[in-house]
Amino acid sequence: MKNSLNVLLIEDNMIEIMKMNRTVSLLKAKHEITEAKNAEEALAILETKQNLPDIILLDLNMPKINGIEFLSILKNDPDLRHIPTVILTTSDNRKDILECYRIGISGYILKPLKYEEYVSKIEIALSYWSINELKSA
Amino acid sequence: MSQEKIDILQRALKREKAARKAAEKILEDKSKELYVLSEELKVSNAKLEASVNEKSSQLEGVFKNINDAYVVIDITGNVIKMNNVAIDFFGYDIAQENFNIVRLIYFKDAEYAFTSFKTLLKEGAFANYTARIITKQKEIKWVQINASLIYDENEKPIAAQGIVRDITALKNLENQKEKILKELEKSNNELYEYAHIVSHDLKSPLRSIDALISWIKMDNEGKLDEPTLQNLTLIEGTLETMEKLISNILEYSSAGSEINETKYVYLDQIMDDVSRLLFVPEHISIKVLKKLPVVKGDSTKFQQLFQNLVSNAIKFNNKDQGIIEIDFVEEPSFYQFSVSDNGIGIEKKFHDRIFKIFHSLNKSKESTGIGLSIVKKIVDLYEGTIWLESEPGEGTTFFFTIKK
Repeated sequence: MKNSLNVLLIEDNMIEIMKMNRTVSLLKAKHEITEAKNAEEALAILETKQNLPDIILLDLNMPKINGIEFLSILKNDPDLRHIPTVILTTSDNRKDILECYRIGISGYILKPLKYEEYVSKIEIALSYWSINELKSA
Repeated sequence: MSQEKIDILQRALKREKAARKAAEKILEDKSKELYVLSEELKVSNAKLEASVNEKSSQLEGVFKNINDAYVVIDITGNVIKMNNVAIDFFGYDIAQENFNIVRLIYFKDAEYAFTSFKTLLKEGAFANYTARIITKQKEIKWVQINASLIYDENEKPIAAQGIVRDITALKNLENQKEKILKELEKSNNELYEYAHIVSHDLKSPLRSIDALISWIKMDNEGKLDEPTLQNLTLIEGTLETMEKLISNILEYSSAGSEINETKYVYLDQIMDDVSRLLFVPEHISIKVLKKLPVVKGDSTKFQQLFQNLVSNAIKFNNKDQGIIEIDFVEEPSFYQFSVSDNGIGIEKKFHDRIFKIFHSLNKSKESTGIGLSIVKKIVDLYEGTIWLESEPGEGTTFFFTIKK
């Protein structure tokens, strides 16, 4: 069993990144967060094919390449498509949700208004993935 | 010759004379009769001729005066007869030139034209053939043709006649309507997407503020005084109101457009869901007086409709025993529903205003002033009307109709 995860967080909002870092620092398990401020940055990290993340947390609303476009690129790459990708977004637009599941996601989490609620959602999601057997080392 | 013989002969002659006379008389009579008959025949022939002429001129009149183009073609498609409307419409005139109907066929509808002509030959007629033609002036026109074969006395088809109606204007209108509908659908969808994006862009800073306040509280535990803590709590409450407002605006903006397909909606089930979704306090009871009907539409919309009305009835009830009753009557073309409560009531002067967006009568965290405008929008969508009867302090009944 693996306790700490290597998480790639793709998020352009500074405070959202702070929220994630703060949340993870509160948890017992020492998860490693890699930040990417946009899809291009994330692709640059993934293209090295070195130290691939265990899971990806992906925001949908991003400039230039948006989350759904990024997801398509990811799922079309045979070396990257196995990485569980969880959407972390504010959009409860049914069209987005259906489209994401169609392309292939491992989860869809809505960002709540209350910070406490956010902490509990992230804690549950990360602890779920940390009890999973994952492909990468 | 003996006298006796002469007598006999004379008698015989006399008889013969008489017989001839009789025969002559008969002949004369018969001739007279024949003459009369022939005269009668002449008269009736003349009458018949007149009536034939009359019929043909009547037909000629119809042929000339109908507003549609009328053509008669031989079996190979050569036009042998056409009225003035046809001459004007097609631009060809058989008095001036040979004109085969094939020249009218518009290339995109050629296949349809030939199969229809085959049908005509096989079945003897076709109705409401609708296609484009190209006139001598190279104009493309939409036409509707009804045609039938003409046979000789041996039942052999020798020609075909057809009435050609110009439906170009109608068709253009139809196309225009379709185009407008498509554009409307597109802009509705765009608006929906836009509303989603805007609402989430607006919510994002609220989430950030909430996180920042939590951190201020956490990082300064024990260091902040009571008024500051209270103010921070007020900020959190305001954020919640703001978020709810944004959600409701999004709901409102998508309420008027049909996004999901139309299905049968079991309103009984919808009411069950509504009662489960809403927080109903102990002292309030919701009664559905009779089994609600099945209507056609979008179930989410009907849920929004009942949920908003019922939640208002719960929210604005000040009695020890709150009663909310849902009922309906069926009319030939619509259903009339009612949601009544024994709550605080609404003054007459506000009856119109409450359906307008942001016109909440009660300033509270829960009411954003959007609920009833959503209700109104949905009722409008289903071609109904909404109104209310209310006695301040006694209660309110909302009535609305839904077209069947």
